[in-house]
Amino acid sequence: MLETRALNKSFGAIHVTKGVSLRLEKGERRVILGPNGAGKTTLFNQLVGELTPNSGSIHLDGADITALRVADRARLGLSRSYQKNTLFDGLTIGENLGLSAAVALGKGQGLWRDPLQSAEVRETVKEVAAQVDLAPLLAMPVNAVSYGIRRQLEVGIALSTRPKFILMDEPTSGVGPEMSKGFHRLLKALPRDLTVLIIEHDMDLAFDVADTITVLNYGEVVFDGLPGAARDSQLLKDIYLGAWEDA
Amino acid sequence: MFTHTPLRLTTLATLAIGALAYAFVAGFFGLEILAEIAILAILVIALDLVAGFGGMLSLCHGALLGVGAYAFTVAAKDAGLSAFPAMVLAVALSAALAFVIGAVCARSIGIYFIMATLAFGQMAYSFVFQSPLFGGDDGLSGAPRPDLTAIGIDLTDSRAFAIYAIALVALTYLVAASTLRSGLGRSLVGLHHNEKRLRALGLTVWRAKATAFAISGALAGLAGCLAAQHTQYISPGLLSWTVSGEALVVVILGGLGTLAGPIVGAILFVVLKHEISAITPYWHAIVGLILIAVVMSRANGVFGYVEARMAARAAKPTLEKAKADA
Ligand SMILES: Nc1ncnc2c1ncn2[C@@H]1O[C@H](COP(=O)(O)OP(=O)(O)OP(=O)(O)O)[C@@H](O)[C@H]1O
Ligand SMILES: [Mg+2]
Repeated sequence: MLETRALNKSFGAIHVTKGVSLRLEKGERRVILGPNGAGKTTLFNQLVGELTPNSGSIHLDGADITALRVADRARLGLSRSYQKNTLFDGLTIGENLGLSAAVALGKGQGLWRDPLQSAEVRETVKEVAAQVDLAPLLAMPVNAVSYGIRRQLEVGIALSTRPKFILMDEPTSGVGPEMSKGFHRLLKALPRDLTVLIIEHDMDLAFDVADTITVLNYGEVVFDGLPGAARDSQLLKDIYLGAWEDA
Repeated sequence: MFTHTPLRLTTLATLAIGALAYAFVAGFFGLEILAEIAILAILVIALDLVAGFGGMLSLCHGALLGVGAYAFTVAAKDAGLSAFPAMVLAVALSAALAFVIGAVCARSIGIYFIMATLAFGQMAYSFVFQSPLFGGDDGLSGAPRPDLTAIGIDLTDSRAFAIYAIALVALTYLVAASTLRSGLGRSLVGLHHNEKRLRALGLTVWRAKATAFAISGALAGLAGCLAAQHTQYISPGLLSWTVSGEALVVVILGGLGTLAGPIVGAILFVVLKHEISAITPYWHAIVGLILIAVVMSRANGVFGYVEARMAARAAKPTLEKAKADA
């Protein structure tokens, strides 16, 4: 269970997270919708500890993690992918996944064995590579592959920690519709007990994978409910129409 | 990630065989140069470990070397320890100091990291310079060489000492290479590329940096022990930031993040220094010109250049080039 209670965050005069309370049950797949600048990424940054909220609290499986540091939260099974690719450039795809798995398995400070050769890490790399469709490309250097592949790796790195909770920030941003569809198939194939929170811009794709939907607008939760209700919501239409017109 | 490519293995084997062969035929002057190269090689391997692989450009490695040299001399001469326990103590002290420096500087990156390490180095320098314990400006003399007569080796002989120094370079290389292949070494390279992501994956970043810095510091301390044993005289100048700067020059000249490259750099540097200073007192200027040429060529040092040429010859097909991440 992942929960926030009355979370608030301001950058100077801009109030970016306004009293956000969310609750995700184990295995729930939630999509966060909202126009540009609604505070979606800022919310993620607070969940993983890269930003500290001004007030409110964050709970993981009942424990208050608001004061925990980023690495400590990660070790509790919280993982994220970034809106902007955050890879290990200069390494191969396999090394990216292997390093991530090694660190998540607590082998990132070991002095004796090569974790990349350990059975556990290799197994994880193989599984994750299959999940994100990168199995044939493990030996490719990251800076020699296309943006779309890098986008898949971005999520692969987050998965290679074998998380209990995964937060994905616009995993399909910037990739074509075909790749995007493939990506959503892949999401659906994720283990059912993994709790998933995804930020997504595209409503149709969001409805395709979500159990529940949360809509953020100007930092506030303006909708929290089932996809069916979201689809019919006038409020949502207004927000998104507004966003389209702005764009 | 660190790998032993065929080129690197060939280079290392050639260097090892060449150095040993030279040690058997060289005269006194050649043996002195060999020992000088070995000391510098140990220091630059240590520096490459953190600077080349971890992106932690340190300007305190001279100080770490100096601390090792002083600790060894004081432990062996004043405290009466025999040479090997004194070396262990000196290496441990350099490692401990490096751990603290690494931990404190872990939060700073880029130029701030360089400046913070510089400040630590200067603190160590002025401490040694001012303290009455260490002979101030006059330095200390009389550091002993290890006594290996039990196994029939007399290290007061310069040939034996040169071979011993080469053995320590090999030991240093093995420590650095096995560190790089360990979990810590993998993380170190990852930190260089993307610290934020590693933290988000659960790595305690400061501890990884501090541990890597400690291992590097231990090796720099070992170089210090060897330096003290070589000249049997040490002065605060060993801790000077110019020693660190010179080490950085050698690493860049040889090839950052290649481990074998800095050894090549150390050989080039010491040989050039002796050859050019025999012709002109302005050898620093000549070395400077060479460094500028190397940097301007955009190659990763001499060894990096060779590696790039070999890689280009064995060019692999690549997929469509990555566009800039949106
Ligand atoms: N570190 C920061 N300092 C100052 N302002 C910030 C910072 N991070 C975000 N903001 C501001 O907070 C607001 C919300 O940003 P955020 O990135 O959370 O939006 P978002 O919902 O993820 O938008 P998008 O869909 O474009 O990714 C924006 O106005 C942004 O400029
Ligand atoms: Mg965003």
